[in-house]
Amino acid sequence: MLFRRAGIFHTHFAADRALFQIPADRWMIGMLLLLALAAPFILSPLYLGSYLLPWLIWTAGTLGLNLIVGWAGQLHLGYAAVMGIGAYATVHATKAGVPWELAIVMGGLTAAVIGSGFAFAALRVKGLYLALSTLALQFVVDWTISHVPAISGGAQATFQAPDLRLLGWPVTSSAGLYYVALAWCLMVTSFMLNLRRTALGRALVAVREKDYAAAVIGVNSFYYKLVAFATSSFFGGVTGAIMIFTFYHAVTPEQFSVDVSIQALAMVIVGGLGSIIGSFFGAAFILLIPGLMSVLIFWLATHAGIPISIETLGHLPHALYGALIIAFLLVEPLGLGKIYSNVRDYLLVWPFGYVKK
Amino acid sequence: MDWILFFESTLNGGLIGTMYSLVAIGIVLIYKSSSVPNLAQGAMMMLGAYVVLALSKLGMPIWLAIPLGIGLMLFFGVAVERVALRRLAGQPIVMILMMTLGLEIFLRAGSLTIWGNTGQPLSLGISDSPLFLGPLLISRAHAVGAVIAVVMFGLFVLFFRTRIGVVLRAISDDYTAAWSVGISVERGVALSWAVSAGVATIAGVLWGSVQGVNQDLALLLLKGLTVAVLGGLDSIGGALLAGVLLGVVEGVASSFLDPLVGGSSRDLVDAMMLILTILVRPHGLFGRHAIERV
Amino acid sequence: MNDPSSTNILSLNNIDVVYGHVSLAIKGVSIDVPKGGMVALLGANGAGKSTTLKSISGLLAAENGAVTRGELHFAGRSIGTLPPQQRVQLGIAHVLEGRRVFEHLTPDENLIAASMVRSRHDVKRNKERVYGYFKRLYERRTSASGYLSGGEQQMLAIGRALMTQPKLLMLDEPSLGLAPLLVAEIFQIISQINKEEGLSVLVIEQNAVAALEIVSHGYVIENGRIVMHDSAERLTKNPDIQEFYLGATKNRDFHAIKHYRRRKRWLT
Repeated sequence: MLFRRAGIFHTHFAADRALFQIPADRWMIGMLLLLALAAPFILSPLYLGSYLLPWLIWTAGTLGLNLIVGWAGQLHLGYAAVMGIGAYATVHATKAGVPWELAIVMGGLTAAVIGSGFAFAALRVKGLYLALSTLALQFVVDWTISHVPAISGGAQATFQAPDLRLLGWPVTSSAGLYYVALAWCLMVTSFMLNLRRTALGRALVAVREKDYAAAVIGVNSFYYKLVAFATSSFFGGVTGAIMIFTFYHAVTPEQFSVDVSIQALAMVIVGGLGSIIGSFFGAAFILLIPGLMSVLIFWLATHAGIPISIETLGHLPHALYGALIIAFLLVEPLGLGKIYSNVRDYLLVWPFGYVKK
Repeated sequence: MDWILFFESTLNGGLIGTMYSLVAIGIVLIYKSSSVPNLAQGAMMMLGAYVVLALSKLGMPIWLAIPLGIGLMLFFGVAVERVALRRLAGQPIVMILMMTLGLEIFLRAGSLTIWGNTGQPLSLGISDSPLFLGPLLISRAHAVGAVIAVVMFGLFVLFFRTRIGVVLRAISDDYTAAWSVGISVERGVALSWAVSAGVATIAGVLWGSVQGVNQDLALLLLKGLTVAVLGGLDSIGGALLAGVLLGVVEGVASSFLDPLVGGSSRDLVDAMMLILTILVRPHGLFGRHAIERV
Repeated sequence: MNDPSSTNILSLNNIDVVYGHVSLAIKGVSIDVPKGGMVALLGANGAGKSTTLKSISGLLAAENGAVTRGELHFAGRSIGTLPPQQRVQLGIAHVLEGRRVFEHLTPDENLIAASMVRSRHDVKRNKERVYGYFKRLYERRTSASGYLSGGEQQMLAIGRALMTQPKLLMLDEPSLGLAPLLVAEIFQIISQINKEEGLSVLVIEQNAVAALEIVSHGYVIENGRIVMHDSAERLTKNPDIQEFYLGATKNRDFHAIKHYRRRKRWLT
């Protein structure tokens, strides 16, 4: 009833191909954008910087990973390494005097080149061997970061990032940093939303489904897999850089370890493979769960009188990631995004019961 | 060129390599019946070692704790199939792969939560005194591990020639066709996971006696995976040979590279071997090619 | 017609199949296969033929499908709740569409893999029986099945089904993608098996000409419903069947077709 399709008639092809055809959708998007822009004036800097900001950045990262996992159908076990490459490259470039906007692009390009270099395996085999080569990428990058002081400042070092500068002006307020992250997240989201309508998106789906059939109609599967990897790595690199400049302000090796890769994958799976709104949900879910669980367990412990050490609490979120991945794959393999679209479909035809697809 | 060092690294590397093969054999076993590499193999090794450790702490002598531990882990394998894999029976391989990943994270973090991260010793009664082969020094524990690995290899080669072995390979080719000829796919997958969990326990106990029982046992997954890919994901013999090969390359390369790079070059060597295998010969030394008729 | 205790080996009664809780695939389908008889199920693409077969062999669950109404009787007992393995044990053999052999196994191993429902003592005898029917298979018995030609794979798929010592053999489009000579050879072997062993056969075909030559009677299914059921000779003589399924090109009145006056004389 809210998402009525009745009464919508298109008189131009452009209108027919619009992203949000149902007026309720357009209103919702409009309101969300307004809220997003007004957030620094509504929320305190604490909420802005500790909740909203990482959520937006991680959503951008999840969307980038979704391009590989959801759209191209490959498994990427080293996304954090790609983000790390972008982060380190950008920090080095900024320290060398390159303007920040250019440094970010350079970071993204470095990540794209190295990240897609590891996709060479796409040339010869498919599927799980590609996944293994990304795992190799993660370990090589881990090793390089710990053992090459020129890049990382050594395993124990914390590499300080300079200020974020837009057009030469330093941006240090929490509102300013928030807007930068918001802008990046919106850019990635609109890219992914439009992917469906472009030749690249169609080619990716064709290659994912049956690559030799795609080759028969002229879609070069190797080229498109490589493009998917390069684009996804570019997004990952820039996201990693933005994460450092707006959130962490310094780079350490643990920020891009294999556990972080797994966290990114968990966000994609929980949110739903290939689902854009799911990426938002998945990122929020995974970011919030550790905090909620710690609070819950602490409350249970104090009420039941069982002493729980800090060490135990520290590893519990991880155990939860694993349990969540398993649970979601069993119950709803298509994640939170599918649950959302089920609800939406229900409301689309309410009070009637059948959805004709 | 220090020849003694070279031969010692080669020999010990080869022996360690056979112990890597033990990890890889579990991965190959599951791949041969489910067509998916089990990313939770390292975690199952760790769990098996912890179970045996817990049993021996309850006062059981080690020669009783190990078979009992293996038995418990057999149940664990069956439980994994029943709870997690049965629902995913028709889904794309990527989903099942992610399920094994989820299992790995859960087991590793879960054991950290319950047992903490300090390494605990597991004694198998193997003396610490090294064996001498001429002027070369060999670790006794590694030698025992190598013998066990070769024995297991022989057992499994025989196993896959039996009727049940053929059925497991059939299941990995096509679930639906297997159902259509009356094969119980559920039982086949459960069997392969149970046996793999048992092998993982043996591997975990052996490695645990060498390096202590803690989270690091699970990280042997990378070694096991590299060996499995190098040998061919569905070849048992390949896993054994590839293990020896990787062990030797690792041992020799790191004994010469470590002083140059400042330590822990083993992991880099492994990653490089993995990349090289995928580049040059993706299906490994003895693996099967995907048969696709267009 | 649908008396389960009569001479029918298989009797479907008013079956409905739904996929994913939402898509109705077949509705009100009733089919009987007499003991020792050969029956064809004809229809175009997407009519619901494979779905019917899968509902009999129990393979619907793998595709998120379910039988929501109706009864299935095989050899006098109701089999609707049995899992696929038990149905194979009772004697239902389903040869899947597109062969679906175990590609990395040799034909010999394919046959062994299919012998799990019977005792290991029968394996040798059954294998000899299969190789007796399909001599070409014997010659290729040690190469990987994935590399066999289409005809050889079809023979292997049928042979594999025979290893389960079935009472009812269900074939899903055995002529798919095969050269006409090979189609004739395979159909001739199927007739031979039916006559020599009294094995009941239910065959799905788009190639209605070849199918109607060997069966005793046939069903025609369209859009999930059975629209005609008759003996093979009468089906072959039926002008509607001739025009829409047997490719009759003489006496086609294009004027009538163009003005929508040429319609099938059954109700859908």
